[in-house]
Amino acid sequence: MADTQEDKRRRRNRAAAAIGSLAVLVAALATVPWLLSDYGLALMINVMCYLVLTIAWALFSGTTRLVSLATSAFFGVGMYTVAMSIKVLPLYAAFVLAIGVGAALALVVGVLTLRLSGMFFVIFSFGLSEMIRELMVWWEINQTHTMGRYVFVPFDTTMIYEHLLGLAVLVFLAGWQLRRSRLGLALLVIGEDETVARQVGINVPFAKVAIFIVSAMFMTLAGALMAPRFGFINPNFAFNPLVSFVVVIMALLGGLQKLWGPVLGVIPLIILSEKLQTQFPFWYSVFLGLVFMVIVYFLPRGVTGLLEDAWEALGRPLELPRGLTGPLLDAWAFLSRPIYLPRGIAGAIEERWLKIMPRASEKR
Amino acid sequence: MAALLEVEDLRKAFGGLVAVNNVSLAVSAGEVLGLIGPNGSGKTTLLNLIAGTIRPDAGKIRMAGEDVTRLPNHLRVRRRINRTFQLVRAPPNMPAIGTVMAGVLYGAGARVRFKDAGYEAAGWLGEMNVLTKADRRFDQLTYIEQKRVELARALATRPRVLLLDEWLSGLSSSELEGGMSVVWSLAAQGIAVILVEHVMTAVRALCHRVIVMNAGSKIAEGRPEAVLRDAEVIRAYLGDDDA
Repeated sequence: MADTQEDKRRRRNRAAAAIGSLAVLVAALATVPWLLSDYGLALMINVMCYLVLTIAWALFSGTTRLVSLATSAFFGVGMYTVAMSIKVLPLYAAFVLAIGVGAALALVVGVLTLRLSGMFFVIFSFGLSEMIRELMVWWEINQTHTMGRYVFVPFDTTMIYEHLLGLAVLVFLAGWQLRRSRLGLALLVIGEDETVARQVGINVPFAKVAIFIVSAMFMTLAGALMAPRFGFINPNFAFNPLVSFVVVIMALLGGLQKLWGPVLGVIPLIILSEKLQTQFPFWYSVFLGLVFMVIVYFLPRGVTGLLEDAWEALGRPLELPRGLTGPLLDAWAFLSRPIYLPRGIAGAIEERWLKIMPRASEKR
Repeated sequence: MAALLEVEDLRKAFGGLVAVNNVSLAVSAGEVLGLIGPNGSGKTTLLNLIAGTIRPDAGKIRMAGEDVTRLPNHLRVRRRINRTFQLVRAPPNMPAIGTVMAGVLYGAGARVRFKDAGYEAAGWLGEMNVLTKADRRFDQLTYIEQKRVELARALATRPRVLLLDEWLSGLSSSELEGGMSVVWSLAAQGIAVILVEHVMTAVRALCHRVIVMNAGSKIAEGRPEAVLRDAEVIRAYLGDDDA
């Protein structure tokens, strides 16, 4: 069996169109610093930073289904490595060092923990970032007698933004390539059934550690690039555990089925938390927590799923009142439904799209 | 004929329960070896030990002369030992062709490019007569289709020793006939098949040799007619469960 000329030509055209539109998009995004206000640029830097973190998180967790809360550990390690080495190293050398430290940490953690399954891995990854944070606090107080570090370098917000944009393109390409590779397929099989993965000849621990390291390197570099943005860094700030949780929520809101799913999760949540932080600074964390709960519990298919359900409910005939127990029973049935891996906004869009344009195989 | 797979005094205990007690066996290329015995007699544990799903407490497993006793599961796959599972296993949410592709890419066959793995995987599905289900999710297939996809997955890794754990059980009579001819053709291609089976028609028709296990030990070995006659005797004395 071989491709026909027609197939080949069509595939080449599609690839060219995809690369072309991506190039145009990236070029447009690269001009943002000259178009937006300082506030707008700051917002875009946040978007780019979380985009890198979320896609990098999805590289590992979306395929292996191991929920990692170690994002803040790698992000913080990147930031802190730059803060500690900036006085003796040139900026780019500090970035490279940060990637190296992140990769080494990921290797050690991966080898030690990736045999853990499910919940145990979640807890461990969370404990890891908290442990590193406490260690750094202890080190800074007792050994170096500093409460934090200054990062003053000629690396302004425009430079930070452009570098983050480049990194976002790289992580996107890595994810795109992963979906077309042996390793990507192996990770999908591992995510669904490890026993079967071993039985087709996949070296399960090796594959997991490999993707964990790749994912960690992107997170670390994102942290390193963000270090000059803040100027003053202390351990509690660099290893803020909230980063890990926000990244998970963004990925779940966007949906993990599609590579661009996280984009749809990052943008609304960044805007939302920006609004919350400016309008209700004291209630910010409470609101954010509520938003998380609402998403995970009530919007397993993302915001679009909610709208779809509402639309369907409008078409249904009214039901007669059944007293107080009716709604309570409904609520119970709803709450006790199993929660599936959210397909997010991307999943909803895909469903719509398939209704309009059925796949060739389904037409027959 | 020199044996392809040799098992020597294999032993595995779970706590105080000795599941496999000093069992030895050998199987050569193109041979179908039947493994029968009541439930809980250690047949599946023995298969797990040979495939590398679990490690033995004692004993040796040699594949084509090489000692593979300490090798992990995935390396035994590359030494060309593969198996199917008693309760059919494959990633439920993936298209059926997905695991078969993984088998092509990670198995013992010649290294293929990712792009070409799909074609080869489709070939294996075709051989098992389930090519039309290639893009269907595994959990949407019927039982017999799942079994055939699972066998295609195992074959895609190019095994020389294939362990079939009740692969013929739970099929209708016409499906059973098709399944038996599949096993027959595998042996004809020179694959050594170890068949754990309760379906006696299949054991009688397919196996060159049969081993009877009870309570972890091998209690009889020989040609199917002879062994099954003995098994009838055992059944007559001890009741159905011990045959």
